[in-house]
Formats: sequence, structure tokens, C-alpha cells
Amino acid sequence: MAKKFNLVIGLTGNPNVGKSTLFNALTGARQHVGNWPGKTVEKKEGEFKFEKKKIKIVDLPGSYSLTAYTEEESITSDFVLEEKPDVIVQIIDAQNLARNLFMTIQLMELQRPLVVALNMVDLLENSGMSIDFKKLSKLLGLQVVVIDARNKKGIESLLAAINKAPKRYKESNLKLTYGVEMNEELLKMRKFIKQKEGISANKLNWLSLKIFEGDYRALQYLTKKAYYFELKEQLQKSTEHLQHIYNKDINTILSNARYGFIKGLEKEVVTGIVKKRKNFTDKFDSFVMNRFLGIPIFLLAMFLVFQATFKLSTPLIRLINSFFVQFSEFIGDLFLKYGLPKWIASLLTDGVIGGVGGILTFIPLIAILFLLIALMEDIGYMARVAYIMDRFMHKIGLHGKAIIPLILGFGCNVPGIMATRVLENKSDRLRVILISPFMSCGARLPVYALFTGIFFPTNQGWVIFSIYILGILMAIIVGLLFKKFLFEDLSSPFVIELPPYRYPTIKGILIHVWEKVWSFIKKAGTVILMFSVIVWALASFPVGVEYGSQNSFVGMVGQVISPIFEPLGFGNWQSAVAIIFGFVAKEVIVGTFGSLYGASDQAGFSSLSAALQGDFTPLSAYAFMVFVLLYVPCVAVLAIVKKETNSWRWPFFLALYTTIVAWIVAFVVYQGGLILGLV
Amino acid sequence: MKSINNFKSGEIVKIKCVECGSAFKHRISELGLFDGSEIEIIKNDNCCPIIIKIFNSKIALGQGEASKIYGEKI
Repeated sequence: MAKKFNLVIGLTGNPNVGKSTLFNALTGARQHVGNWPGKTVEKKEGEFKFEKKKIKIVDLPGSYSLTAYTEEESITSDFVLEEKPDVIVQIIDAQNLARNLFMTIQLMELQRPLVVALNMVDLLENSGMSIDFKKLSKLLGLQVVVIDARNKKGIESLLAAINKAPKRYKESNLKLTYGVEMNEELLKMRKFIKQKEGISANKLNWLSLKIFEGDYRALQYLTKKAYYFELKEQLQKSTEHLQHIYNKDINTILSNARYGFIKGLEKEVVTGIVKKRKNFTDKFDSFVMNRFLGIPIFLLAMFLVFQATFKLSTPLIRLINSFFVQFSEFIGDLFLKYGLPKWIASLLTDGVIGGVGGILTFIPLIAILFLLIALMEDIGYMARVAYIMDRFMHKIGLHGKAIIPLILGFGCNVPGIMATRVLENKSDRLRVILISPFMSCGARLPVYALFTGIFFPTNQGWVIFSIYILGILMAIIVGLLFKKFLFEDLSSPFVIELPPYRYPTIKGILIHVWEKVWSFIKKAGTVILMFSVIVWALASFPVGVEYGSQNSFVGMVGQVISPIFEPLGFGNWQSAVAIIFGFVAKEVIVGTFGSLYGASDQAGFSSLSAALQGDFTPLSAYAFMVFVLLYVPCVAVLAIVKKETNSWRWPFFLALYTTIVAWIVAFVVYQGGLILGLV
Repeated sequence: MKSINNFKSGEIVKIKCVECGSAFKHRISELGLFDGSEIEIIKNDNCCPIIIKIFNSKIALGQGEASKIYGEKI
């Protein structure tokens, strides 16, 4: 590979120390920053220039240690070991120096140039403590730079330090000793491996230490070797010897040694006394994490999120809607006036404006929903929700932490599914992945908004709320069924760090929301535009048919499929077509209806409304929404499920079972409603 | 010596023994919870995960996990 960059930097550190914030500050990128552990699940690359050097920076997922234990943690050690960055930058939260230094030590064991960026020093000083970073630098034998990632302070000096790091680097003379006996056994191991294989001193040191720790990567490397059997014997002998002497297992010995060293360091560099008064985080926690109030507060918060989403977006939606109606009329008039071909007018108004405009109308809804969910993440409430809901989640056979991906799923299922990586155990993850599409995502909202606006204008909010609740109930029921028939019991341990609350970074959140909205607009301009044109074309041909009539191509296709949906109350062929196209992305459903029914007939959108009223009753409209909620998630979701489970089996299974569930539930809703005398 | 889910809020505990599976043991030792470390019980409602303070961070720990970690009050 040709080296395109003058310098490659790996950015690492504990979760929640400000890695993504620094990454954004350096690269000007717009990565969303969330205040819960495990937010960055994949490494992200960015680049920038400094003193004419082209620098590549890789933001690694947060981890507490370099010993690979979870998937996300192995990304960091893989990167450092395999790709050998020129400099590693570790960001340290000054408020939690000891724990952060645990990782520093492991990074130093890798023997690569390392720069420590000390972040959040102001917060430490606010609590009455201070830190002597120069002394820390001297004691560790590496450059320590004070930064303030949020306010972009100290970035220049950090860059200068990074620039110098590769040249300044020398073998560390760190005075960390694991104890006499441990050191002896380590030496034996080093000798043993060296004898068998000629590898670099760096790797040798690392390997012999990590094999004691039982590191996954070290094991993988060594099990392939011919001498593995012999090595195992040596390892066992050493381990038994050490355990006999210390009366502790090997990892405890190592942790004790490392933390002993760190405690000494901390005493030297940190001064001041911890004030014993309760800070804001403690006070707020005693309220939101209260045994009795916790769950009601959480439910109230979620209710407010959805209420605010609808209440705030309604006036904006009206505004955009009226704009498209007028625009459509304007185009129609224009073509009429100049006698331009009628089919182009139809393409533009029926196809493009009906489809794309129909979907763009709902942008405020999606923007506000994303904004509020991002706010919950940013202030640090998400990790608390995992705690609050743990007991309830266990009752339904899930894990407290599973609530985080499920809530994110309300925005979009794709990041929700990616966030399932907070769960350590594979089968726990899979179970959450399989039920998460029932969390009604932002793209389904336009469908509900369209239908409830027409059929339930007076209690729109409540009807949509009931759909969401139904989604949650289905997730619970299916989760329980999976628990019973498909998976063994939970095994992921419940450990989660509760980060301190912080003010949301308004700019960061707005950028994040804008990105979501922009991708939505892009989708409207590409995929939805394309499908709108396809639908329009299928609805216009063969030549001579009335637009969108059942004799058109699309009408014929729809008619073949529609009998399947007859018992659900929406046997009209347009619904069948919309459901098929909704597989691409659920918002396409709205676009398809817009194109099929034509949005332009003088009265604009009211024609869509009138047409839908002709084909649906309130009951069948509700059944339709239920079906849209539950049936096969969009292509993007299936693709991410494929990626995360690494097999085609699960996305296929997901598509199949959700559609079956959707059909059954919509059937029960419609037929049950009929029996109850509803229409 | 008793398991840490039997301590009350506000008590400072010196960890004596961690009896869980090795992967989990490893994970919590990275957080600073291992034989010999000192922690503070922040909140223990006996129903839900307990919250402990290790160094300067709050960690929520499931009851099941906490019942396998033993310590003594200081």
C-alpha cells in the first residue's frame, strides 16, 4: 500500500473521555458525540493537515483496557498492533486519572510512541483538585499535554507534541515492576518464545505478558504455532507457581501491580482533597434513578419526546405541504399556458412532486425526533435508562443495556442495531437485533402522519402513540417467544459506567440532526425520486391507459398481490403496490400513494386525502398502519443485520418472520374491529 | 466478609475476593474492581443493580454479579 500520509495517528482512551470531540475538533468532521459508554463502535478515519504534513487520524472505540474481551475492544488492539500507527494519542479524563492510567500502562507496554492528552482538567479543578501534568510527563517518560476538547483549547500544543513524538520516542524506562516472581516468570516466557521464534523485542514482550492475561489475540497468534503445546505447559507451570506464591490468580496479581504503580503516580501528581458534597450528578441521579420514580420519570420523558415531536412539527408540516400544493398547481398552470406536453406535467406533478414532495413534507417530524433522542444521549441519561429498566428488561428476558439500542431504534433502526454492541454476549445481541425493527423508526412516522391526519384528525397524537406502544408490545412478546424457543438464558453481565451529566453540545447535536435530515433529503432526491418515477411510469403505461388506473402495469401487479391483504381490510391494489415499494424504505409508501393517486388534481393534496378516504375506512387505515409498523424492515436494516450477524440467515429470517407477524396482527386488528362493530 | 450486594449505601468496602467467571473478572478489574481495591457503595436498593464508586466513576453492577464479589467494610 502506498503511503499517502506523513503521519498516522491512533486516537484512543476510555469511553466517554472526549475522543470523538477531539476527533471532530481536529478534522472538522461531524461525528455525533453521545454520552454513554460504547458510543463509538467502529473506528472512524479522518484527515487533516498540520505544518504541511498530511495526517491521518483514526478514532478508535473507547475501551478500558487493551486486552481484547469484547468485539469493540479488539478493534483497538488490532489497530495498534497490526497497522502500527506512528503515534498513539490517549485522551485521559483528568477527573478519573487512576483508571485512565491503567490503559496508559498497557499502551506503553506496546512500545509505540505515545502522547497523553489530558482532558477535562477544568472540571477537576472545579472540584478543588489540581494536577501536575509536567511531573506526570516526567514520571511516565512521555509527553503529556493539557487540552480542552470541547472548547478546542490546547489543540495546537497537542499537534506539536504529536509531531515530535516519533522522533523523541525511545524505549520507555518505566519503573513498573510486576513483582519479583512475576518478572521472573515473564522472563522465562520471553526466553521460551525467543528460542522458538525470531520476533521483535516489542512483540515478544507484549506476547509473553498477554499470554499470561489470557488475551484472545495473543492466544490466537500462538495456537497456530507448532510449539503451542510446549508453551502451554510452560504457561501452566508458571501460572501455578505464581498462584501458589501469591494465593491469587494471575490477572489479580497484574491488576494489583499496575494499580499499585498508578496509585503511587497519582499521589505524586494530584493534589487537593475531594470535597464530600453531593454534586449535580448525584442529586439528579437520586431523583431519576429513584427506586419508585425512576420508571415513571422515564416513561414521562419518552411520552414528552413524542408529544413534542408532533406538537412542534405540525405547523411546519402544514407550511411545507401548502408550498408543494401551490408549486404543483403552478407547474400545472405553466404547462397549460404554454401548451407543453401533458405527460411531462403529469410526470412532474403526479410523479415527482407527489412522491418526493409528499415525503419532504415530513422533514420537521423526523428532525425534531432525532433532536430529542440525541439530546437524551448527549446529557448522559441513556446509561441511566439501562439501569432503571434493567429489572423490567430481565422480566421480558432481555438485558438492561438492551434498552439503549431499542430507544435509538425509534430514530432509525440502523444505528439502533449497531448499538447492540453494548451487549457482550452474541446471543443476547442477536435477540435484540431481531426484535429491534418493531421499534417504530422515524421513516414510518410519515405513513402514520398521513393516515391519522386523514382518518383520525381529532386524536392523531394518541392513535400514533398506540402504534408505538403496539410495536413495543410486539417486541416484548416476540422477545419472550425467542427466549422460550430459540435462545438460551442471558449471559451478558450487567456492568455499565454512569457518566457524569453534562450540558449538551448544542452545535454537535444540531450538526447530527442536520446530517440525519440531509440523508433523508438525499434519499428523497435519489431513491425516492427514482421510485416515484418508476411508479409513475408503471402507472402511466401501457400507452393509452388512464393514469394510475387498474389497467396500468402497476395496477395489474397490484391486483395480483392485493388479495393477500383483502382480509386485513386494505385489498385495494394501490396499498399492495405501496407495501412492495415500502421494502426499499418505509417512507416510499407515502411517496407511492402520492404518485399513484396524483397529488396535483387542482386541489392538491386533498385529492390524495379524498382518494384514500375512498379506499380506506378508519379501521382498515389502522390495520394498514399496524402492518406498516411490523412488516419487513427496509433494505438498509436487512443489510446491517447481515453485517452484524455475519450471515444471510438472520436477515432472511427477520424479513420472513416480521412479515408473518405483521399479517397476523393486522388481521386480528381488522377482523376483531369488525366483530366489535368498528368501521 | 460478605458479598457487596449486602452492604448499605455509603459504606466503603475493601474487596477481598472476586468469584465470577474469568472474562467478567477481567472486565471489572479493568474498571479497578479486583481483590485489594477499595470501593464505595453509592446505592443499593436490593432490587436493582447496585451502584458503586470505583476511583472517580460510578458503575452500575447487576445484583447477580455483585453477589459474587466479596469484601469487608472499612
